[in-house]
Amino acid sequence: MTEIGLPPINYGAITPMLILFGASCVGVFVEAFVPKAQRHLVQLVLSLGAITAALVTVVWQADTRTVTAGGAIAIDGPTLFLQGAILVLGVVSILLIGERSLERGGPFVAQAAIVVGSDADRNQTVRQPGATDIYPLSLFALTGMLLFVAANDLLTMFIGLEVLSLPLYLMCALARRRRLLSQEAALKYFMLGAYASAFFLFGLALVYGFTAGTPSGSGDNGGGVDFATIAAAVRNSEVSPALLYAGIALIAVGLLFKAAAAPFHVWTPDVYQGAPTPVTGFMAACTKVAAFGALLRVLHVAFGGASWAYTPVLGAVAALTMLVGAVLAVTQTDIKRLLAYSSVANAGYLLVGALAVNKQGLASTMFYLVAYGFTVLAGFAVVTLVRDADGEATHLSRWAGLGRRSPLFAGVFTFILLAFAGIPVTSGFTSKFAVFGAASGAGHTWLVVVGVLSSMILAFPYLRVVVMMWLSEPGESTPSVLVPGGLTAAALTIGVAATLVLGVAPESLLDLTNRAAEFVP
Amino acid sequence: MTFLAQSPTLQDFGHDVWWLVLLKVVGVFAMLLLLTLFTINYERKVVARMAQRPGPNQVGPNGWLQSLTDGLKLPFKEEIIPLTADKVVYFLAPVISAVCAFTAFSVIPFGPMVSIFGERTPLQLTDTSVAVLLVLACGGMAIYGIVLAGWASGSTYPLLGGLRSSAQMISYEVAMGLSFVAVFMTAGTMSTSEIVRAQANGNPVNLLGLEFTAPGWYAVLLLPSFIIYAISAVGETNRAPFDLPEAESELVGGFHTEYSSFKFAMFFLAEYINMITVSAVCTTLFLGGWRAPWPISAINDGMFNQGWWPMLWFFAKVLVLLFGFIWLRATLPRLRYDQFMRFGWKVLIPVNLVWILALAGIKTLQNKATDDGTRYTIIGALILAVLLITLLWPSRTPAPAPNLEEQLARRPKGSYPVPPLDLQVPPSPRTRRDVAERQPAMAGGGAATDETGPANSDEKEV
Amino acid sequence: MTTAQTVLAAGGAVSTGEAVTFWILAPLALLGAIGMVWARNAVHSALWLVLTMLCLGVFYVLQAGPFIGMVQIIVYTGAIMMLFLFVLMLVGRDSSDSLIETLRGQRVAAVALGLGFAALIGTGLFRALEGTSAVGLDAANANGNVQGIAKLLFTKYVFAFEVTSALLITAAVGAMVLAHVERRKGERLSQVEQMKARFAPGNYPGPKPGPGVFATSSSVATPGRLPDGTLTDGVHSQILPTRELTSSEAAPKGTEK
Repeated sequence: MTEIGLPPINYGAITPMLILFGASCVGVFVEAFVPKAQRHLVQLVLSLGAITAALVTVVWQADTRTVTAGGAIAIDGPTLFLQGAILVLGVVSILLIGERSLERGGPFVAQAAIVVGSDADRNQTVRQPGATDIYPLSLFALTGMLLFVAANDLLTMFIGLEVLSLPLYLMCALARRRRLLSQEAALKYFMLGAYASAFFLFGLALVYGFTAGTPSGSGDNGGGVDFATIAAAVRNSEVSPALLYAGIALIAVGLLFKAAAAPFHVWTPDVYQGAPTPVTGFMAACTKVAAFGALLRVLHVAFGGASWAYTPVLGAVAALTMLVGAVLAVTQTDIKRLLAYSSVANAGYLLVGALAVNKQGLASTMFYLVAYGFTVLAGFAVVTLVRDADGEATHLSRWAGLGRRSPLFAGVFTFILLAFAGIPVTSGFTSKFAVFGAASGAGHTWLVVVGVLSSMILAFPYLRVVVMMWLSEPGESTPSVLVPGGLTAAALTIGVAATLVLGVAPESLLDLTNRAAEFVP
Repeated sequence: MTFLAQSPTLQDFGHDVWWLVLLKVVGVFAMLLLLTLFTINYERKVVARMAQRPGPNQVGPNGWLQSLTDGLKLPFKEEIIPLTADKVVYFLAPVISAVCAFTAFSVIPFGPMVSIFGERTPLQLTDTSVAVLLVLACGGMAIYGIVLAGWASGSTYPLLGGLRSSAQMISYEVAMGLSFVAVFMTAGTMSTSEIVRAQANGNPVNLLGLEFTAPGWYAVLLLPSFIIYAISAVGETNRAPFDLPEAESELVGGFHTEYSSFKFAMFFLAEYINMITVSAVCTTLFLGGWRAPWPISAINDGMFNQGWWPMLWFFAKVLVLLFGFIWLRATLPRLRYDQFMRFGWKVLIPVNLVWILALAGIKTLQNKATDDGTRYTIIGALILAVLLITLLWPSRTPAPAPNLEEQLARRPKGSYPVPPLDLQVPPSPRTRRDVAERQPAMAGGGAATDETGPANSDEKEV
Repeated sequence: MTTAQTVLAAGGAVSTGEAVTFWILAPLALLGAIGMVWARNAVHSALWLVLTMLCLGVFYVLQAGPFIGMVQIIVYTGAIMMLFLFVLMLVGRDSSDSLIETLRGQRVAAVALGLGFAALIGTGLFRALEGTSAVGLDAANANGNVQGIAKLLFTKYVFAFEVTSALLITAAVGAMVLAHVERRKGERLSQVEQMKARFAPGNYPGPKPGPGVFATSSSVATPGRLPDGTLTDGVHSQILPTRELTSSEAAPKGTEK
C-alpha cells in the first residue's frame, strides 16, 4: 500500500470559508443549547460577526494569488473580489433576515412542520417568534457561495453548488405568511434545482471524458476536471470535440439555472414570490454573484480556448433572457414577480458581459454584479415595508397612491426602479454602460443592440409602478408603509447609498474590478 | 504439496476451470440447503431442551429428519393467493429473498488452498477486493423481498410487517456496515480471504515499552465492533428478540401472513440461510475464519490449518454462533418497536462512530513515526481528561424511592380504591370442589398443585 | 472482479464474458428505464428503477470499478430506493398517476423533447467515442481499486470531500426544520401521565355500567348505576331523555309466566 499524504493547504487563503463554516456549525449548536428567548440575538450577532470576520480576512488576503488544496481552490483577483462582494451583500441580507420589528416574530415561521391552516398554525402565525435556524442555513449558503466562486475544478464547483443550493431550498419554505405558496416555491426550486445539478454532473462527466489522455495536475495521464487540465485539453486534445461541446452545454445548463437565464428561468418568478422576502433578496443578490462568479471562471479559465464555439449559443441565450425577462415583466401584477422577471433580464445583461472573454468583460461583469446586488436588496427591503394586516401587500394595484401616503419610501423606491431601468446618476446606468461597452469591445454588437432594446422595454413596467405610486389617489385598500426597524433601515440605507455612489462616482470600484480582473492560470 | 499450507490471496481466484466452478456452486448450494435443514432441527431441539421438552423426536433417528419431511410437505400444500395481491410482485418477493440469501454465501471462505481432483484451488467460491461489500449488498437487496412481500399481499398486517422490516433492516444495516469499518481499517482489505489471513498471526504491540502479542482474532482486538456486529446481525436477520416484522401478537405472521406453500418455504429458507450467512460472516471477520482456534493451531506446526481440516473449525464456529441465535430466541422477550429503533440509532451507531474515531486515533499513534514521548503525552492527556470528566461529572443522589405503603398514603383523597396489601383471597368454592373430585384422598387440602401447564408450542412449526 | 479481469479491462480489450454480460444487461437496464416511466403504479415504477440501478452496478463492476459498483447497489438500490418504496407504500396501492394534463400538449412535448435529447446525446457520444480507446485505467487501478479511490479522495479532492460534511449537516438541519414539531410541555401526555390522570380522584378509571344495568328495566333510556347505587352519566345516548321509570312501568306486566 502506498503512503498517501495530505496535499499542502494554504489555510490562510481559505480562512473566510472556514470561518463561515465554523460559525454555521456553532449556529447549529446554538439552536440546540441556547434558550429560545436569547437565540435570535445570539444567532444574529454570531452571523454578522462571522461574516464580518470573513470579510476582514478576504481584505487581508487581498494580494494572495494561489492555487491550493491539491488544485481544488484558486484564490485570485476575481475570487477575492467576488467573495468580498458576496460577504458584503450577505451582511445586508442578514440585516433584512434579522428584522423583527415589522412583524411580531419576524418574517419566518416558527415551526415549518406544523400543518398549514391548523389551529397550531394560526397560533404560531400571530404569536410565536420565528425559527432561528435561518441563520446557520444562510451561513451554510454563504459558505457554499464562497466555495463556488473559488472552485478550481468542476467537482469542487459541483459540491459548492450543492452546499449553496440546499440551504436556499430550505430557506424558501420558511415564510410566516402564505405558507403554502412558500412551500410550493421551495418544492419547485428543489425539484428543478436537482434537475439542473444532474445536468451539471452529466456535463462534468463528458468533459472528463474529453480530457482523457491529457496529463493532469497530479502527473498521470488520466485526465481530470481541474480547470488547468481542461484548458490544456481544449488547446490540444485529440479526442473528438463533440464531447467538449456537449459537456460545455450541459455544464452551462446547470450554471445558467442558478443564474436564472432563459430558458432555465421558469422557477424564478414562483420562487421569488413564494420565498420570504428577505430570502428573495438574498437569492437575488448573493446567489446571482456566486452563479456568475462560477460561470465567469468556467468560461474564462476552463473553456476560454473554445469561446468561439460557445459564444453564439450563449449569446442567443443572453438575448433570449433579456427579451423574455423584459417582455414578461410588462405583464406582471405582483411586485415580487415583477422584480423576479427584472432579475431574469438582468441575468441577460450580466451574460452579455460574461461573454466578452477578456479582462474588460470580466471587470465590467463583476462591477455589474455588485451594483445590481445592492439595488435589488434595497428594492426587496422596501417590499418588506409595504404591509397590511395579512402581511406584505405585493399586488401592484395595492401600491397605487403610495406616494401620497408615504412620500419618503415611495421616493426611495422610485429611485431604485430608476436604477433598475438604467437612468443616469444611478449605478444601473454605470453598470449597463460598462457591460455593453465590454461587449461591443469584444465584437458582440448585436447583443448590445438587443440589450438596449430590452432595457427600453423593461423601463415600461418600472415607470408604470412609479406612475401608479405617484399619480393615483390612495384608496381604502392602500396598505401602510411601516417605519422600518433599525436593521431594515440600515440595509435600505446601505443599498440606496451604494446605488447612488456607484452611479455618481464609480471610479474607485471600477478601478478595483480592473485590478482584480485576472485569473490565476 | 506445499501449497496446501498456503492461504489464498486475491491472485488465486478467477483461474478455476469451468467444472470446478460448477462443482463449487453446487457444493455451496447443497451445503446451504443441508445446513438449513439441520439448523431448523437444531433450533427446535435446543429450544425444546431449554423449555424442558424433548422436541421433535419421531421422524428419523432422534427426530433429525423432522425438518426434511416438513420441507417436503410444504411445497405440496395448497397455495392461496389473495385476490387483492399484486400477482407479479407477490411471486417475485420470495424469489428475491432466496436469491439474495444464496448469493451472499459466494464470498465466504471455507478453507485454504486445497487440491480437488488434482486442481489447486482455494476452498471458496470466489473472492473480490470488495467481497464484504458484496455481502452487505445482498443484505440490502434482501430487504426488497420482505418489503415487497408485505406490499404485494394487499393486506394490512403484511404491509405493516413489511414497513417495519424495511425500517429495521436499513437501520441495523448501517450499524452493521459501520462495525465492518474497524475490520477494514485493521486488516487493510475488504476481501474475505485476506481478512482471514490478516487474523492468522497475532500483532506485535509495543505498549509502554513492553512487547507483547495481541491476539489475532478481531473479536478480541476489536471487541466493540464485534459486539455491535453481533447485535445488529440479530436485527438484520429479524430474529428474536428483534423479530418485530413478524411479531405474532401484533401482526399475525408479519410480511408472510398471506404466503403459503412453496413461496412460504422460500421465505423460510431465506431466513435460515440469512442466519447462517451472518454467522459465517461473523466467523470470517471476527473469529479468525477457517483457522483453528489457538491451542489447536499450534499443534504439529499448524497441521490442523491445512487441507480439509479447516472446514471443521469453520462449521464448528458457525454452529456455536447459531447456538447463540437460538439461545437468544429461547430466552429474551421481544422488544417494543420504538425501543428497538432508538437502540439502533441512538446507541449502536453513535458508539460505533466514536469507536472508529478512537481506533483511527490509535492507528495514527501507532503508524506515525512519533517518538514515544509524544505518544505517552497524548495517552496520558487522554487518561487525565477522562479522569477529570468522571471526577467533575455532577453527581446527583436520587431521592430514596418511597415504598409501596408510602405511595399509597400519598394518594389524594377520593382516589380509586385499591385492595389492601395483605389481602387474603379465599379459594373459590368451585376450585375446591374440582380438586376434591379429582383427588379424593387429599380432600379439603389446598396442597394439591396443578401441573398441567400448556405445552410450549413451537412458533416456527410448519 | 479479479485481477486478471482488471488487467484485461485496463488494456482496453473487451473479454467475451464482459461483452456477453453487457449485451444481456444493457437491454435490461434500458427496459427498466422505459418501464419506470411507463408503469402506472408507483411501486412498479420504483421496481423498474431498481432493475436499472442493479444493471448499472454490474456495469461499474465490469468496468473495473468494483467498489463503486457495490456502493451503487448498497446505497442507491439498498437504501435510497428502499426509502422511496417506503413512502410509496404508505401512499397506498391504488394511487396511480393522474392522467389529466394541466398544460395542454405537455406530455407530447415532453416525450418528443426527451427522445430528441436522448438521441442527440446518444449519437453525439457514439460519434465522439467511436474508435476511441480507453486510457488511464491501469494507472488508476495500479494499487487496487479501493486504494485508488482513497488516494484521490484524500489528495486531489480532499477539500471537496470535507465540504460534503456541510451538505450533510444542512440536510440534517433541514430534516429537523421541515419535519420536527416541537411539543411544549403538557401538549402530549406520556403513558405514565395518562395513567396518573386516569386514576386521579374524580375520574372513574373502569368502564361504566351500561344503561339499564342494575336498574329495574333494560331500557336504553335508563341510566346505569354505579356499584354504590348512584346514577352514572355519559353512558346512554345524548338524544334520549334521562328518566327513572315510574312504578307502573316498572311493575310486572303479567307477561312473564
